[in-house]
Amino acid sequence: MSAYRTGAPLDRRRFLTAAALRGATVIGTAAAGPGLLSAGVPSAGVVGATALGAVDADAAFAAPIRPLDPAVAESAFAEGRITGIAGDVLQVAGSSGDHARVRVTGATSVWKARATTAAEIETGDGLYARGVPLPDGTLAADAVWVNIVNLHATIRGIEKTRLRLAHGPHEIVGNVMAETTSASYGGAAPTADLSRLTIGQSAQVLGAWRPSDGSVDLVRVVVAPAAGSRR
Amino acid sequence: MACGSTKLWNGEATWFCCGNAWGPCAAAGGGACGTCRSSALQAAWPNASQACWDITRPDLCGEDIPRRGCGSVLKVRHDCSGASVCVTVSDCGPRTRSFCSESVCCDGVCRTNRVIDLTPAAFSAIGSLSSGTLPVSIFE
Repeated sequence: MSAYRTGAPLDRRRFLTAAALRGATVIGTAAAGPGLLSAGVPSAGVVGATALGAVDADAAFAAPIRPLDPAVAESAFAEGRITGIAGDVLQVAGSSGDHARVRVTGATSVWKARATTAAEIETGDGLYARGVPLPDGTLAADAVWVNIVNLHATIRGIEKTRLRLAHGPHEIVGNVMAETTSASYGGAAPTADLSRLTIGQSAQVLGAWRPSDGSVDLVRVVVAPAAGSRR
Repeated sequence: MACGSTKLWNGEATWFCCGNAWGPCAAAGGGACGTCRSSALQAAWPNASQACWDITRPDLCGEDIPRRGCGSVLKVRHDCSGASVCVTVSDCGPRTRSFCSESVCCDGVCRTNRVIDLTPAAFSAIGSLSSGTLPVSIFE
C-alpha cells in the first residue's frame, strides 16, 4: 500500500480505483458467488479498509471525489433498485429504465439508516451511489446510500413507536428506532427527545425506506424553529 | 452552459428527489419545470417563478432571493470542503419559509436558511446525503 501514500492523507479516489482494479480489498470474490453481500458475511474488505482509515464514515461520505487527472471530469452517479448481487457487484435498475453495475470495494462507505457494511445491502433495496467509472463499465463506488430518503412532510399523527406523516397526497409511516431516531428543533443539535414534535408541524424527515412495507425508519426529524424565534 | 463565478447567494442546501424514482419519491414527478431527475445535476430554486415564490416565501426569512427560472445554471460550492457542482434549475424549492432561521455549520462557518434544493446526484457530488443539509455559496 505504500505506493498509494504521498505524505498527504490517503487519496480516497486513488485507493478506491486501485482497490477495484486490482481486487486487493474488494468485498467478496467471484468464487464466493452471488449473495455474499446479503448473507451477513463479515467483510474482510471493510476490515482492510479500516486499517487504512478509509471507513471513517462521516468523513468518507462527506468527502467529495476529486478527479485523478483533468481527463476525468466528474465523479459518476447511479440510482435505482438493486435487482441482483453478484459478488462485489450490485446490479441496479435505474428509475428511468437505465441499468448500472455498482462495484463495492473495501473503500466504499455504506449507509443504510446508519454507517454500516455492505453485508446489509439486499436485493430490492433502493440506492444512490457515487463513484468512479471504470473501463469495464462498472461504477466503483466511493459511497452508497441505501434506501435513503429526505422528505418534506407534515406530522399527522404521533404514536409511541411511529409517526404518521403526510408527504404530498401520500401517507407514510415513520418508524421510531431506539437509539437512532433523533429530532432537531429549530436548527438545534439533534436530541433523542421526540416529545416536542407536534401534529401539524412541517418536518424534514431523513430516514431509510423499507421496501417490504413502504414505511420509513426515522433517522432524523427536523422541525422549524418556534414562531417566536423567527426573524 | 457556463458555470459562473459571480457570487449570487449563500445559505443552506438540502436535497430532494424528482422524476422517476423509487420508494416514497416514486410520485415526485418532473417538478415545476417538468425536466427534473434525481440522477441529473439539477436544483430547485425558491424563486423560479412568481408562483414558486408564493409557495416558498424566502422573504419571510429575510431572504430576498432573485429570480432564476428554469434552465438557469448555478454553481454551488460547499463552504468548508470547497467542492462545487454546476446545476441547472429544474424545480421550485425548497420551502424556505418552513425552516426560517435554521442554520448549518462546519469548521466555524455557518449558513442560515434553506436557499437551494439539490438532486441526489448534485448533492452527493459535494457532500453526504446522510448529512441532509450543507452550508453553501452559490455563484452564476
